[in-house]
Amino acid sequence: MNPLKELFGGAMTPGVLGVFGHLDDTTRAVKDLKAEGREDFTVFSPMPRHELEDAIDRPVSSVRMYTLVGGIAGCSIGAWVTLYMSYDWPTLVGGKPIGSIPPYVVIMFEMTVLFGALNTLVGVALNALRAARREGTIPYDPRFSNDKFGLFVPCGPDKAGATEAWLKQHGAEEVRRA
Amino acid sequence: MVDGMNRRRFLKVLGVTGGGAAVVAGCGIGPEPTEHLIPYLVQSEDEVPGVPTFYASTCRECAAGCGILVKTREGRAIKIEGNPASPINAGRLCARGQASLQGLYNPDRLTDPFAKDASGKLGKITWEDALGRLTGKVKDAKGKGIVFITGLEASSFGDLVDEWMKHVGGRHVTYEPFAFEALREGNRMAFGTAAIPSYDFASAKYILSFGADFMETWLSPVAFQHGFSSAHGFQSGRDAQMAKFVAVSPRMSLEGLNADEWIGVIPGSEGLLALAMAYVIQKSGGAPGDAGRLSDLLNRHRPALVADATGVDAQTIERLAKEFGGAKGGLAVAGGMAAQYPNGAEIVAAVNILNYVAGNVGKTVKFGAELAHGQAGSYRELTGLMADMTAGTVAVLITHGANPAYSVSGFTAAAGKVPFRVAFATMLDETASEADLVLPDLHPLEQWGDSRPRAGIFALQQPAMQPVQSNARGAGDVVASLAGKTGSFKDYVQGRWRAPKGQTWADAVQHGGSFGEAPSTSTRLGADAGKIFAGAPATAALAGGKEEYPVIVYPHYALYDGRGANKPWLQELPHPVSKIMWQSWVELHPDTAAKWAVENGDYLLIKTASGSTARVTVWVTPSIRPGVLGIPTGQGHATYGRYAEGRDVNAFDLLPAAANSYGGRTFTVMASVEVTRDHRYLATLEGDPREGGESIIELLTLGKAASLHAGQHPFEEQEVPTYTDSAEAGWAAAQREKTELGNYVTRPTRWAMAIDLSKCTGCSACVTACYAENNIATVGEELTRRRRFLPWMRIERYFNKSESGSVRAVTTPMLCQQCADAPCEPVCPVFAAYHTPDGLNGQVYNRCVGTRYCANNCPYKVRFFNWFNYAERGGDHEAWPTPLDWQLNPDVTVREKGVMEKCTFCVQRIRFAEHNARVEDRALKDGDIVPACAQGCPSDAIVFGDLNDPHSRVHALSEDPRGYHVLQDLNTKPGITYLARVIAGAEA
Amino acid sequence: MAQTAAPGTSGARVTYDYVTRVINNTLGNPSKGYFALLGVAVGLLTIGIICLLFILRYGLGLAGYSHPVYWAVFITCFVFWVGIAHSGTLISAILFLFRSAWRTAVYRVAEAMTVFAVMTAGLFPLIHIGRQWYFYWLVPYPNERGLWPNFKSPLIWDEFAIGTYFTVSTVFLIMGLIPDIAAVRDLATGWRKKLYALTSLGWRGTNEQWRHYSRGYLYLAGLATPLVLSVHSVVSWDFAMAQVPAWHETIFAPYFVAGAIYSGVAMVISLLVPIRKLFHLEEVVTISHFENLAKLCLLTGMIVGFAYATEYFIAWYSGPTPENKAFWYRAFGPFWWAGWTMNVCNWFLPWILWFKKVRTNLTALFVISIFVNIGMWFERFVIIAIHLAGEPFEPFVKAGYNPTWADWGIMAGSFGWFFMWFLLFVKNFPAVSISEVKEVLPPPVRHGKGAHA
Repeated sequence: MNPLKELFGGAMTPGVLGVFGHLDDTTRAVKDLKAEGREDFTVFSPMPRHELEDAIDRPVSSVRMYTLVGGIAGCSIGAWVTLYMSYDWPTLVGGKPIGSIPPYVVIMFEMTVLFGALNTLVGVALNALRAARREGTIPYDPRFSNDKFGLFVPCGPDKAGATEAWLKQHGAEEVRRA
Repeated sequence: MVDGMNRRRFLKVLGVTGGGAAVVAGCGIGPEPTEHLIPYLVQSEDEVPGVPTFYASTCRECAAGCGILVKTREGRAIKIEGNPASPINAGRLCARGQASLQGLYNPDRLTDPFAKDASGKLGKITWEDALGRLTGKVKDAKGKGIVFITGLEASSFGDLVDEWMKHVGGRHVTYEPFAFEALREGNRMAFGTAAIPSYDFASAKYILSFGADFMETWLSPVAFQHGFSSAHGFQSGRDAQMAKFVAVSPRMSLEGLNADEWIGVIPGSEGLLALAMAYVIQKSGGAPGDAGRLSDLLNRHRPALVADATGVDAQTIERLAKEFGGAKGGLAVAGGMAAQYPNGAEIVAAVNILNYVAGNVGKTVKFGAELAHGQAGSYRELTGLMADMTAGTVAVLITHGANPAYSVSGFTAAAGKVPFRVAFATMLDETASEADLVLPDLHPLEQWGDSRPRAGIFALQQPAMQPVQSNARGAGDVVASLAGKTGSFKDYVQGRWRAPKGQTWADAVQHGGSFGEAPSTSTRLGADAGKIFAGAPATAALAGGKEEYPVIVYPHYALYDGRGANKPWLQELPHPVSKIMWQSWVELHPDTAAKWAVENGDYLLIKTASGSTARVTVWVTPSIRPGVLGIPTGQGHATYGRYAEGRDVNAFDLLPAAANSYGGRTFTVMASVEVTRDHRYLATLEGDPREGGESIIELLTLGKAASLHAGQHPFEEQEVPTYTDSAEAGWAAAQREKTELGNYVTRPTRWAMAIDLSKCTGCSACVTACYAENNIATVGEELTRRRRFLPWMRIERYFNKSESGSVRAVTTPMLCQQCADAPCEPVCPVFAAYHTPDGLNGQVYNRCVGTRYCANNCPYKVRFFNWFNYAERGGDHEAWPTPLDWQLNPDVTVREKGVMEKCTFCVQRIRFAEHNARVEDRALKDGDIVPACAQGCPSDAIVFGDLNDPHSRVHALSEDPRGYHVLQDLNTKPGITYLARVIAGAEA
Repeated sequence: MAQTAAPGTSGARVTYDYVTRVINNTLGNPSKGYFALLGVAVGLLTIGIICLLFILRYGLGLAGYSHPVYWAVFITCFVFWVGIAHSGTLISAILFLFRSAWRTAVYRVAEAMTVFAVMTAGLFPLIHIGRQWYFYWLVPYPNERGLWPNFKSPLIWDEFAIGTYFTVSTVFLIMGLIPDIAAVRDLATGWRKKLYALTSLGWRGTNEQWRHYSRGYLYLAGLATPLVLSVHSVVSWDFAMAQVPAWHETIFAPYFVAGAIYSGVAMVISLLVPIRKLFHLEEVVTISHFENLAKLCLLTGMIVGFAYATEYFIAWYSGPTPENKAFWYRAFGPFWWAGWTMNVCNWFLPWILWFKKVRTNLTALFVISIFVNIGMWFERFVIIAIHLAGEPFEPFVKAGYNPTWADWGIMAGSFGWFFMWFLLFVKNFPAVSISEVKEVLPPPVRHGKGAHA
């Protein structure tokens, strides 16, 4: 029972999955694919590796925008909450101004962090979901979370053989059709 | 709490508390359950709900006969204040007088007549039965000895009892544990009259007290304190003078605290000191001619000769004498401790001589306007009666308003010989519990009566409300019917009342009585004035073995002779000197304590020669002479209601049973002391013994104070950031506009207070007033020990060393300072503490969640927390068991557990006055608003008003050069201005 | 230090596979000992709950408060637990930004500790208020009273700071967990499989997932770093904003933050030493990790010591002031023992951490860490309860204070609560980050240097 299946269960993408045991092999394979101008492949790895990131070389994630927006929103909400609530029922305490900024900065700061963090989470989730629409339709191997790297190359049944050969030649320990 | 823990409660808490919210709300968690008020069905015409009705009456807590106004709401007495019309107390009232409410509403009051059955148990009976038995017994006993013991009754009731006793051939004995035999005997010796004169403190220029606790319990404390503080208080402006006050006594009482100079003489030698002073004055001339008869007596007491016996060096005596003589119109009083030594009468006589020689008799000591206290029976009468009872010549013994079984050890045994004993009583005290027939009396606030405390004064007492105990009957009515009077006791009183011209009975009742002045008669020296202190050179009169120490037994300020012990307000009132509550203690000088290696809370075992012992905890204090011990009376009741029973020791037990030479009782005994291993915590208001010599009180010498002129501010310190002022001003203005409609704020006000420390005596009447007005819970001994008390107003007492190292006690009231920039306010997360437009620190109980941050941040520590639900019915710490809760002030919230509370300048009184002003369509006048503390203050030390009103008294006082703010360098801008205490003397 | 501190110093044995399995083994079926520990924790919690019920029923009077000691053990525990909560985010966020690789092996424990410590700390303000059932009045929501909370009150700052900190550190913990849960998911069977399948949110370690994930993680770390510094500053202002002498100090924020990290790191050590032993993580969590923790301990300990010294100096330097009296009271007053416990445990003891021998001796470290925890508890107790008792403004109310069974019961309960959660966590989720440990391992490569699979 894979939740993604329920959500995004579409027809399986035809293609070939190669299982690699070594980082450098995987990296080279990715580089060559790129050289052929392909972008539609998917790489599996048990941990983030800068080598792979460089090889795949996609634009920087858009998550940071979420963080920024969240932070700004949080700060202004903090300012509004404190000041509006102070003047909504003005009550004098300790001879201090009704809306005295210094103490409110604390609230603004905390709200900045809170909303920034939550929005970052949202950002990651949304992006992951978008990706998942496609990734839900490609095969996966449990070893990818342990010590194997994976490379899935979508291709029609006609090209499958060639792709398998290409992957093997790039050091795939085993290949599998989908 | 822990002790009250058992399996059932444990399970109950788990079960119930663990249970759902509905259950929970019902049992103390969550908001208090709703209670329903029932409105009047038929509106009584003289009762406007929400508007108090005042009844003038007379206080019967002691024999002083102060006039009182009983404040009733919806038919219940809720507070007692002084009656301004009364010439005795002029509108002031002491703590005991205010606490009489708790006698009225005491949960342990007698409900019905009781009679001893065969097994000796008291069982309920009907009034008919009771009166039947009584009349029967009295008829049988006719001629076989009938005795009626009352307290001092200078009243119609006394007369009635006299009549009845005369009629049935019995006798009427009046008994006061602290009677004034020595005073009368001394006056007889000196002036040939046994009357007790009235003392004019107000016009005295120099006051000298030989042991007289005239502000605590002696004669007429409220009147005397009122006079004292107007003489001793420093008035800026006018001739800027004040009467110096010197207290001569082995231990500091309230008087010692207020003395400009405290002379801790050797007990019993006060008389010698007085004579030595008289000698000096006479030698310097100016004494009345007939004083010459005394010269050989005085020669025998030259300062040099008595220095050793008194423990006061000759120069001091000389100086004091010169000051006193030079004052022209001083006043020396002898009483209290000094009048309770075996030689007390002679001491009084000696002081009379001093007054006479200094020419004060007739000026400040007025015979003619005598005090009724002279009519109190002597202790010898009582011992005589005890002898008779033991001899079996008394058949019926009736008691009323007196509790000899408590204050005289042998009495119970003697009374045991009496076949039939009857007691009129409101509480089952020691005497009543021994009686065969107990008749529930009405409280003075429930019945008619009168009192003639001073020649020329006929003070009336009227019922202020329906009896709390419906089946009780006024002793007056009962005796009247027994004496065969037709009509009620009220008619009897009215019959004895002689109308001054132009006054109707209604007038008299409305104003609390008829008040006149008796002319003072001139008094000359008596024939045998010179005969006192024969065996010269005199020594201290207290003979005792080696390792025996004089133990001074003195009346407790609040509990007095024990009659106050059943009132939680008085039990929890910190004693003005020791600050101890709910407990007995023995005062011990630090040197003595060091010698015996004891400290606060250690138990001493005190053994007198007569074999009686007392086990009592030590309170180490510099306020007593080394080698002398002092124990207050009042505790140690065997039975007298839940608040009094089983508390520590009854100091009366230490006293010798026999009457002394002048027919009085000796209150100073020689005793040996044994240090025990036991220890307990003192239940005291004082956090740290003697505060490490620190204090927050400012002092000025008279010279310095007189030299100050308007505009000078020696104590001024901080300057205030302007933005706080503008913030407040702007905000307050805005608030006022908001609240113009339907609200009472018409002009910028800042409620403020000025407290004159040169007037404040620390008598603590304000504290009880505050408890009564603001529904402050009393928490009992255990919680007091754990410092859970809630005194919104406390009197702080510090012992400082004066510049020359002599002990100097200073006192100050400490209450919420109503700071303009209050530290407590901004830290409250829910605005429970906030600033009102009229400058108060509001405290909204219903809004408080109890973070207690405000209390931490309050530098004055005047915020108090409800650790438990003190109003919980049947709770472990219930403060108002029914009917005590009838006294609660309906204008003030009863706080629930978990909320912070504090003084708000009696905001309910402020609002009430503001409403009245609006109803009468006028602006508030200065003096419209009087907080409870200011109202009760016998010294006028507290002035309340609007600081922003340039014509208000408080405004003027806050400008006074002596003015200062406590901890003003914290820049809290308090609303309370203290005026520095002034010391009449060379050093502060 | 990054590489030397990396696990795998023991050579080829430590491979990706080894890491996955050794950490996966920490889950498995618990032993008797584990249940014993859990039992103790739950027992303590029960005691705490019973005491709380009594307090709710009868009132706070059951605790040892007096006038003027209005805050005591409960607030002490609050600050103590908030302090504990600090090392977690420090290690996971700040050290993450510093790219110090040694954190990978220890940060998961620290983070879990953080979350549970905040959960514990958060209870105390609710327990300590007088009318617990109205705690929600501190929350700004439109209500029938038409009244908002007072944002000038440090307590409201607290509420926001603690709330934010709890949320963010929880998010942070869960984020880090996702890839590791996926890893154990792929090995697990039965109900665990279901649980992990659900909680891993379909993680597959594709390049897209990693791309957004690592960005998100980076920014969370970026936000958490100032947060962790702010939280204990705000807590310290609860006191610094009040004018109680020995509270009203400008150095409180850095002083408290340092103290918090100090106690936090100490707690990490106290927790990690037994876990390492019980779960056989010697290969993954090595001595060098402990030494680094010890160094961190030493650093913060020195800062704290310096803060103490500053306080005493200023008190002396300011002459006969309430400040001066307050610190005299701390050192020589009736509660001198508390003051000196705090000095010895926090200030003097850590000096022996200068010696590498001590830093690399687990037993010594464990003992020291326990002492530091005790010391830090006493620091808060001294600052809060003792300085209220010795209140120097009003000489007349200076008073004593004795905690009661209620205080101790609830404190015990808080430890039970904390350890219950912690034990449940380490047995059900990877207590050491699988993916990040792999990150710092030399990757398997066919050509050139690297460990061969």
